[in-house]
Amino acid sequence: MAIEFRNVSKHFGNTLVVDDLSLEIRDGEFVVLLGPSGCGKTTTLRMLAGLESVSSGDIFIGSERVNDVPTQHRDLAMVFQSYALYPHMTIAENIAYPLRVRKLDRAQRAGRVKRVAAMLEIESLLERKPRQLSGGERQRVALARAIVREPRAYLMDEPLSNLDARLRVQMRGELKRLQHQLGTTTIYVTHDQAEAMTLASRVGVMRKGRLQQFDTPMNIYNHPANQFVAEFVGSPSMNFVEGRIEAGRFVSDALQIPLKSDRLSGPVTIGIRPEHIQVLTQPQDGAIAATVYVTELMGNETFVFLSVGPNRLIARAPAEFRAELESRVWITITTDKIHFFDQKRNADNTD
Amino acid sequence: MVKNLRYVLLLPALVFALAPVYWMLTISLKTEVDQFATPPPWFGFRPTLAHYYDAFVTRSFGDYLLNSAIVAVASTACALVIGTLAAYALARFQLPWSLNRRLSLWILSTRMFPAIVTAVPLFLMMRDLRLLNTRASLIIVYTAFNLPFVVWMMRGFFAELPRDLEEAALVDGDSRLGALVRVVLPLVAPGLAATAVFCLIVSWNEFLFALVLTQTDAAMTLPVGIAGRVTQFEIKWGVMSAAATVAIVPILVFALALQKYLVRGLSMGAVKG
Repeated sequence: MAIEFRNVSKHFGNTLVVDDLSLEIRDGEFVVLLGPSGCGKTTTLRMLAGLESVSSGDIFIGSERVNDVPTQHRDLAMVFQSYALYPHMTIAENIAYPLRVRKLDRAQRAGRVKRVAAMLEIESLLERKPRQLSGGERQRVALARAIVREPRAYLMDEPLSNLDARLRVQMRGELKRLQHQLGTTTIYVTHDQAEAMTLASRVGVMRKGRLQQFDTPMNIYNHPANQFVAEFVGSPSMNFVEGRIEAGRFVSDALQIPLKSDRLSGPVTIGIRPEHIQVLTQPQDGAIAATVYVTELMGNETFVFLSVGPNRLIARAPAEFRAELESRVWITITTDKIHFFDQKRNADNTD
Repeated sequence: MVKNLRYVLLLPALVFALAPVYWMLTISLKTEVDQFATPPPWFGFRPTLAHYYDAFVTRSFGDYLLNSAIVAVASTACALVIGTLAAYALARFQLPWSLNRRLSLWILSTRMFPAIVTAVPLFLMMRDLRLLNTRASLIIVYTAFNLPFVVWMMRGFFAELPRDLEEAALVDGDSRLGALVRVVLPLVAPGLAATAVFCLIVSWNEFLFALVLTQTDAAMTLPVGIAGRVTQFEIKWGVMSAAATVAIVPILVFALALQKYLVRGLSMGAVKG
């Protein structure tokens, strides 16, 4: 079902937690709300679920305005960060709970539970209690309880954050397949940009209660709307250098980069992704001299941390790249991939 | 070694606590001659059930026992239902004007004066309502008396339960009341059991209001009935002891049955799970 937030705000006392949020989510979309803790993403999800009231603005599910609809009548399913499994019920009873309160008869309930359990490969756990399960198994049960009926949308609040790294990557893939299979609108909250990039059909990046950008993962990565989005998405993080544009060149204390575009002159912050900096061990025409601060071999590639005057830059280099600490190298920058951020607007954003 | 020492230290405490009970039990089984013998025969007396026969067949202690049971169970049930709902509301809903705190203190304040202060007003109210000498009067009074206790105990148990579980139940489509019954209450069952035991004991043993509000066999409870055997002509030690021994049994059985919950319930507030 399509979901719309129209100028939604939320106050807790005098604190503005969500600030004039407008968001249109299409039917069947997998939308990830991404942001650091305290950015209002979880509050947004809880308002949609009806677990928090809306201070102003409207929320629609389909064409129905749900502001005043109590949680139990919104027909949504939610996966909590803590999983929130009912500790006194068996796994089968946990999964059947949404069906039980909808007064489905016992036989139908058992059938549905069995089908969902098979889908998530937890059939062998059905008679156990939640405390006897591992984190990954609990996660599956929480998912099973959500998909056992056909709600209007799935809400997921950092569902993978309590799993270890390996399991998280595995469940991430399974979640994506599951959502594809079910085709149900899903809203997923996380602070992990990797989850956002891999899962989402569109990502909403939030910060201090405000939506910064709402777009496809590729556009978020390639055309970040502001410095915050650019910095938050991508690992290792984008490099930023403050300076000014003078006569078609970017000029800072330590670095001068000729630009192809004829941008207006004035103060600017440029952003360069680590993969757009090439590290050379020999000088080359137009290359900028740098010092190796440290290198981190990742196995498939090497992150090279460089000092260029007062600036610290990160570059991605092939795994074979070797350089002594403090040795001299040269870098070239793919100039058409440079992002420009308005210093004045950034100042506003960092309030 | 340390464990054995612990038992050695426990022994005096045990003797101290159980000696009166043993005394009562033996008195109830002794003939009147043995009751007053000096030195008292501690073990080797010839037991008799005459006092039990006297109390429960000749006299109306059977009725008192029934009255006590009905009043205690009904008032405990009422206090638990009303008190649990109130406690849940106070623990979960944010009321305006800091009413959560104020209401809680107001509820508690009804226990901050001696019970006897309310005895006369309650007597007059019950008289006007024509409820004197009825079990209903005692049920009403005991419910009111136990409510603050239930509200404060249960509020603590609810406050410790993570909200996620109820929220999950709501999203799953259950109503507030359904979530309370199906998810919250089973999880605070130990606390509920501990609270129930306390209410039951208080109601079972209550003397003052029972004395003021009941004068006939229709509603008289065991404590009042037992005390009534102290007359200006004689003190019926045997009958009193027999009735008192029987009065101990139900609470003892109930507490033993719920012992597991009782310990967990009492420590629930202490340690965060």
